[in-house]
Amino acid sequence: MRCGNGIEARQVDELCINIDPIQAGGRLTADAMKAVVAYGDGYSVCDNCRKPNRLDYITKPPIAEFHKDVAAWLNMDAVRTVPGARRGFQAVAQTYVNKGDPVLLTSLSHYTEFLAVEESGGIAREIPANDQKLVTPDAAAEKIEAVKRELGRVPVLAFIDHVDYQYGNMHDVTGIAKVAHQYDIPVAYNGAYTVGILPVDGKAMGVDFVIGSGHKSMAAPAPSGILAATAEREKEVFRTTAIVGDVTQRKFGIKEPEMMGCTLMGVTLVGMMASFPHVKERVKHFDRELANHKIVMDALLSVEGTKCLSEYPRKHTMTRIDTMGSFDKPAETHKKRGYYLSSALEERGITGVIPGATKVWKFNTYGMTTKQAEHVARSFVEIARENGLAVKE
Amino acid sequence: MTFQAIYTLTDLRVLLRETAPSHEFDADQKVKAQRLLENLERQVGSLKQEMLK
Repeated sequence: MRCGNGIEARQVDELCINIDPIQAGGRLTADAMKAVVAYGDGYSVCDNCRKPNRLDYITKPPIAEFHKDVAAWLNMDAVRTVPGARRGFQAVAQTYVNKGDPVLLTSLSHYTEFLAVEESGGIAREIPANDQKLVTPDAAAEKIEAVKRELGRVPVLAFIDHVDYQYGNMHDVTGIAKVAHQYDIPVAYNGAYTVGILPVDGKAMGVDFVIGSGHKSMAAPAPSGILAATAEREKEVFRTTAIVGDVTQRKFGIKEPEMMGCTLMGVTLVGMMASFPHVKERVKHFDRELANHKIVMDALLSVEGTKCLSEYPRKHTMTRIDTMGSFDKPAETHKKRGYYLSSALEERGITGVIPGATKVWKFNTYGMTTKQAEHVARSFVEIARENGLAVKE
Repeated sequence: MTFQAIYTLTDLRVLLRETAPSHEFDADQKVKAQRLLENLERQVGSLKQEMLK
């Protein structure tokens, strides 16, 4: 079935259980799907835009209220919607980083944080993760001191991922923010894997910015996200335009340069808004998600030779595993080579593992029902047995 | 009315997602599916009446 010239209707999540590591938290709720149908036209949320003509002031649909609600939910003072978390990183970096300024990242930071620093002319300095692949406050302090010795000044900004994209490990953001603030370094919290997945309290963590991804973790269409700030930082990152045209003497009201005026103007925003009540509710039940994850994890670890590369027990539903000692072995002789695993999973209605991957790979169980988690768990064990791998009872 | 019908189909779509890949419905899901399909029939009936009169 096609929904346009050469565009097949996508039915991945209707036909299969999708364990793709980055797709799980961004699947739309029914309300978001409905909002997308009604607000598909380009400037659909702008019908009732009135002075002062800015997206976050629109009251119908209730965009202004949504902004306030998201800020309160995150325990921050101001929020703007952005086209993806990366645009949040970009806005913060453009505000604080000048050419040659050092910026604190981590050895597990997402590449878009690096690009944001690069675009601003900054220099990346990474806090190394320890052997457990965790970034600690002590390591942050050591790195800040090292940067001070190297460049004669401390970093102007720190990007810290609460849960990193490589291992899905949870890092001590509160402790790291405390250290950074001792050096007056503002902290941007990367919540791409947390905002919309588990409870996030910006002020309790002591961070200056909270950045979230709509399409990764808030059941919203791409590209969408949020940038939240404290009252102190709000004035800086959400400063209003001051530019004046020399011929026309035009000014541009309360538009914000870092937001390039208005940001999300259609399906992305209403999709995020429509999912928001469900997202607020679901973060309260993250324990259920971890329980479902454990069902799958236990099954994988029952296959002898499988190792969990992420911190264990798991604190997040996105996990990196090493199956070189298990599922990779049949790949050496199987007629489908490494593709046998994804193929066997597909036969059982499970998708999202990179085709051919049998060595080190990631998966995410977020959003599954318990019945679906049990099916995935059973499937891994069956595939292992069918291919002669030992399974612990 | 077109939105109502599309939204009913959307609720059915979500039911398919929740039960993938087997789409075996438990008792509650069967009741829900039946109610949604009946609503859909009624909504399509109204559309026929309004659009083809």
